Amino acid sequence: MGATSGFAARSVQIAFVAIVIGVWWGVTKTHAVMPLFLPPVGLVARTIDQLFSTGEAWAAVRLTLLTIVEAYALAVVAGLLAGYFVTRSRFLTEVFEPLIANLFTIPIILFFPLFVLFFGIGPGSKIAYGALYGFFPVALNTIAGFSRVERRFLWAARSMGASPFGLFRHVLVPSALPVIVTGLRISFLICLASVLGGEELSAAAGIGKNIELAAELMDPARMYSWIVFVVLTTTVLNLVLSQIEGRVRER
Amino acid sequence: MTVAFDQARAPAATERPVAISVKGVTKRFGEGTGLGVMALSEVTLDIRRGEFVCLLGPSGCGKSTLLNIIGGLLPQTAGTVEVAGKKVAAPLPNDMAFVFQESTLFPWYTVTENFRVALKFQGVPHAEWEARTQEALAAVGMVQFAGHYPDQLSVGMRQRVNLARGIAMGTDIILMDEPFAALDEQTRMVLGEDLSSLLAKTGKTIVFVTHSLAEAVFLSDRIVVLTARPAAIKKIVRVEEPHPRSPDFMLEPRFSELRNELYELLRDEIRKTMAMQGGGAPGGGG
Amino acid sequence: MSAEQAAAPRRHGGLLGHDALVRLTRAGVVLLLFAIWQVYGAFFADKDFVSPPSAVAVALFTHIFSDGAVMRAVGLTLVEVALAFTASMIVGVGLGVLIGWNTGARRMALPVVLLLYAIPQVVMLPLVILAFGIGPVAKIFFGFSHGVFPVIINVVAGMRNVNPLLLAGARSMGASRLEIARHVMFPHMVPSLFAGLRLAMTVTLIGVILAELYVSMAGIGYYTQVFAQTFDPAPLFALIAVLAAIAIVLNELVRLAERRVTRWRRVGM
Repeated sequence: MGATSGFAARSVQIAFVAIVIGVWWGVTKTHAVMPLFLPPVGLVARTIDQLFSTGEAWAAVRLTLLTIVEAYALAVVAGLLAGYFVTRSRFLTEVFEPLIANLFTIPIILFFPLFVLFFGIGPGSKIAYGALYGFFPVALNTIAGFSRVERRFLWAARSMGASPFGLFRHVLVPSALPVIVTGLRISFLICLASVLGGEELSAAAGIGKNIELAAELMDPARMYSWIVFVVLTTTVLNLVLSQIEGRVRER
Repeated sequence: MTVAFDQARAPAATERPVAISVKGVTKRFGEGTGLGVMALSEVTLDIRRGEFVCLLGPSGCGKSTLLNIIGGLLPQTAGTVEVAGKKVAAPLPNDMAFVFQESTLFPWYTVTENFRVALKFQGVPHAEWEARTQEALAAVGMVQFAGHYPDQLSVGMRQRVNLARGIAMGTDIILMDEPFAALDEQTRMVLGEDLSSLLAKTGKTIVFVTHSLAEAVFLSDRIVVLTARPAAIKKIVRVEEPHPRSPDFMLEPRFSELRNELYELLRDEIRKTMAMQGGGAPGGGG
Repeated sequence: MSAEQAAAPRRHGGLLGHDALVRLTRAGVVLLLFAIWQVYGAFFADKDFVSPPSAVAVALFTHIFSDGAVMRAVGLTLVEVALAFTASMIVGVGLGVLIGWNTGARRMALPVVLLLYAIPQVVMLPLVILAFGIGPVAKIFFGFSHGVFPVIINVVAGMRNVNPLLLAGARSMGASRLEIARHVMFPHMVPSLFAGLRLAMTVTLIGVILAELYVSMAGIGYYTQVFAQTFDPAPLFALIAVLAAIAIVLNELVRLAERRVTRWRRVGM
């Protein structure tokens, strides 16, 4: 939607964040909310600083990041391959596209207990869960991307004597890419959320586990520190990814 | 042009009462922004009852703007429009009906529902909806498509229904904004003939915006040729041929003569418009 | 998607219509997958981890349908999803209309909505449980907080880009502001609204089930823990199958409603 970018929209968002922090500061200053539910801003900021300066946080960040990257890599490879091969025939596309789209509407989180059963509470279960979830947007957008390649371009290229690879490189990929990159971005955000969620439900370590543990130990400063950290990083990541996506799409 | 000014034929139209009176109408878009665009300058025009008047001009000159001001959809910057003795400041659904391009049938309503909702908007009592809808459908031979959604009809049929909806409003005046623009030439001609016989039968007043020269000549009693933006009246060309008109009219030499005269009048204006667009003039009304 | 395919012209390639052939093949693919699972589960897999569909079917009756406590947990989840979805719909349409009504409101509020929507809400799950407790309220809230955003965003999007000629047409026929809202703006918005509701149902399910699984002391979360520790995974598979079936039915209900309401969109040639 057009309103996501642009200076005005960005200003509104920054103003909103400033207001949220202001209100947060205000209600904790006046003790309007129990510190258990909302610790003071200053305390959370100090805790974040402490977590990272003592190096305590880095092990969790490293583990979670690695898990996300592994899950994402699997999702992307599987999604691109599946999407490409399904679109080699119109018939296969008609058979598989609705099937994959319908599976995507089932809450995949349901299968997480099975992944824990199969792969244990280590990163494996999170990788499997994240990869499965992240597979769908890549596959669906790859299918959509390759299916929308217009026949007249294929005919034109073939009439000019393009080889199969030339066709792939100069016609199929350029026209499918704008749709595919959107799938890649959505898939990454899904992988990220899935891994964090999986870690909260069942894990030995990682960012999600740390949030869950802090909640269990009634340590709101720590819990909020992690939440703020994740929200900030994902917002920045999302911004960067949207920029990249925009670049690819407008070519 | 001998034909256009042949007063010997003494057209009855000039004797009839004035239906629409446009006096000194000026329109400026983007008032106060510093980027104002003059769309219309001092247009004065009387349209008589039962007359078919075409507004013809280069694309983007302000023809539609003028029509929208007449219909009360847009406020003018200066001047007045009077319809049936009333000053126009808002739509007058009981005096004037609009027919736009085919897309203005509501796609979420069936053909019948489109008629009903129009009558509802107009404030017609519920009891009359059914009869008037049936009558309008019958008039265009679309009864069997009453339950269809617009997207189930061909473009030509859709526009036929759209036209029928405008007629079903039962007003004396119908304003048409390039109603046939989306149609192929053959469908255009058939609907043009229909329109001409409608005029002959009902004596409605029709103001019609087009950029097709042939359409203007074939349908009009008078053609108002407008200049490039800001639109002003360059010349009014008269077409002496009684309605309903037959396709044979197009084969007569005077048809081509009129068409050529119009093109002669428009040529410079089209070039001016193209030059303006090349210079990146901000867009106003169409 | 299937809706578009249903509208696509039939091509006769042989004894069967093209659509029927596609559907049969699709059913065949699903059956084949189940068959592979059955053979693998029955003959090759470690029975402690994978149960074949036949064993899962048996477990449905021995462990799920026959156990009142499990059925109550499933029923409660269904109620939570229904309430969360209803709340998402009502609040989402309300806020969406408020935001979409004029350009100023949209420019102020939409960036904030999009900012919030982009946050991975799952990191707040422990906080939500801490704030609302381990009962249904937390789960309904978490489902709602997932479902409301797609509704708002799609309602706002649906209220934009109404063909100006349709508005001019309605005005020329004498329509009042209320009539324009009722007969032009609203129908124009409905397809987009339903796209939002479909998405909302999917993410509401995710939110509620996430919260259910997080709370392992009661409800579905408890039973998944219990079933996972018995060295007979069939009941766990069965419980998941029941919940997946519920999800499919709920999604299908939304689509059915959509198909009824937006019939005019799919009749095109």
